[in-house]
Amino acid sequence: MKYVDEYRNAEAAQRLTQEIERLSRGEPLQLMEVCGGHTHTLYKHGIEDLLPENIDLVHGPGCPVCVLPMGRIDDAIAIAQRDNVIFTTFGDMMRVPGSKGSLLDAKAAGADVRFVYSPLDALKLARQHPDRQIVFFAIGFETTAPSTAVTLLRAQAEDVQNFSVFCNHVTIIPAMKAILDSPDLRLDGFIGPGHVSMVIGMRPYQFVAQRYGKPVVIAGFEPLDIIQSIYAIVRQISQGRAQVENQYARVVRPTGNTKALEVMARTMELRPFFEWRGLGFITHSALKLRSEFARWDAELRFETPGLRVADPKACQCGEVLKGVLKPWECRVFGTACTPETPIGTCMVSPEGACAAYFNYGRYSMAGARSVLGAIEIALTV
Amino acid sequence: MKQSVGSDYDRLFYPFLFEGGQANLDEVLVQVRQSILAKSSELIALRRLTLETQRGAIVAAGQAMAAAFGRGATLFAFGNGGSATDAQDLVADLLNPPCAEWASLPAMTLTNDAATLTAVANDVGVVNIFTRQIIAFGQPGDIAVGFSTSGNSANVLAALVQAHKQGLLTIALAGYDGGQLAQSSATDFCLIAPSDHIPRIQEAQATVYHALLEVVQQLLKNDQREVQP
Repeated sequence: MKYVDEYRNAEAAQRLTQEIERLSRGEPLQLMEVCGGHTHTLYKHGIEDLLPENIDLVHGPGCPVCVLPMGRIDDAIAIAQRDNVIFTTFGDMMRVPGSKGSLLDAKAAGADVRFVYSPLDALKLARQHPDRQIVFFAIGFETTAPSTAVTLLRAQAEDVQNFSVFCNHVTIIPAMKAILDSPDLRLDGFIGPGHVSMVIGMRPYQFVAQRYGKPVVIAGFEPLDIIQSIYAIVRQISQGRAQVENQYARVVRPTGNTKALEVMARTMELRPFFEWRGLGFITHSALKLRSEFARWDAELRFETPGLRVADPKACQCGEVLKGVLKPWECRVFGTACTPETPIGTCMVSPEGACAAYFNYGRYSMAGARSVLGAIEIALTV
Repeated sequence: MKQSVGSDYDRLFYPFLFEGGQANLDEVLVQVRQSILAKSSELIALRRLTLETQRGAIVAAGQAMAAAFGRGATLFAFGNGGSATDAQDLVADLLNPPCAEWASLPAMTLTNDAATLTAVANDVGVVNIFTRQIIAFGQPGDIAVGFSTSGNSANVLAALVQAHKQGLLTIALAGYDGGQLAQSSATDFCLIAPSDHIPRIQEAQATVYHALLEVVQQLLKNDQREVQP
């Protein structure tokens, strides 16, 4: 933890925010982050409160758990409920609600659902239980796809027959394009995802700057990383520039991690389209296993409902994921929908915007609302 | 690592970056076709299920409506958003029937008068936008038809409760499990399209109210009180 304090230096933060205020000259600017880790940092460290009021941070679809439609959860549960299956998943997927309950509910009802820290743990289970079918629920952006790919290569090399992957990896670049094309939003820049960029590098973001004229600054996860990235975006805007910059240079290389990309390319290919909660179907935005790995493809090994399931009517996760609504503007935020009783995925996942707001920000938001309410009452009297 | 190698991965995972921003037309057409087929089969299944489960209620509601029209009733239809357009469609089909042999029947939608709607919403609250009009226009024996995909729209429920108090025949079209409209004692008939997908609910509700119209018009034409389901 030697270097954490340097990235949380209050004086540096203050200098940067003063510069942000000076350069932005009061002009309203909307900046979006598309990384759940960034959302988490923003609210854990109260960064929004440090920024001038003209800077509005919009939380985009940065949580791969949150963007998964309910129908895919139902498919996962259908696999988990099969006899002889050990269904493995990352912990934050256990409580995500499908149309008839979560994986945790299925586990309580007798399905063998186990959480793992890595797909390699799932492969290990397959070796330990040769008489069982082990399925790994693969989710995540480009960040986690390489680990799934490496596991598949190892399963192939060792000819592990009782292992398969239910692949739900999605890619952030098409989602950013869909957001830029959306009439709902008028963004001025992006805080680029740190760990996705560690894999894909800087080049895929060039279209944002070149075609849409919006700056992208790839950011790390400490408070000063994000504040410095916002400063860099505002500086570009003040200078009339639109470029891709890398604030997270200590981790992100311009060309990304080509070894990671190579293993992904060997094992996975693009789906023609995939549904994103809140964004609808996006072309070429998700990955499936290549035909050479069909033996390890859970979607081919097991039959699933494959139905498109509508979100609960009360759920406004779609609008939150697009950044159209702030979490506390959702009609069920903090009342019917809490981390203990989540209705939507944005509240279930610790990286979800609603969970971040609830855990770190709701009291300041609630305070703001009560002040606004008092002002309204005073004006009507 | 060479730039060109990285570009190969970009081409593999983000092909749109190299298409000059243009979508591959063949792939788009495949997607559109698959989407239409999926929606169509979903809708056909829901319409069949709705008509099977609601057959008796549709006939009974149609009989009650025909009897009311026979006694000079006016129908009032209302709903929010897409349901408002369904209410308008129902009224248009009553006033200007699509079949030449059908009678033109008195009907009015409570969703068209922007001044009244905004005045009531602003002064009293949106929950009363239909209720106030029921109070003003509704006479005993008239018909009130409320549309709500969730079955829980507060202003639709409030209007049906008021209509019931004033002696109107009350009919609700709802989705999901019927919600509060199905549970309310103020609703004489609740016709439920059992789905939680709003676009499909609306499409199935269109089938329901068109079926209702056929029942009503057949009864009025034959001056019968019984109809073969």
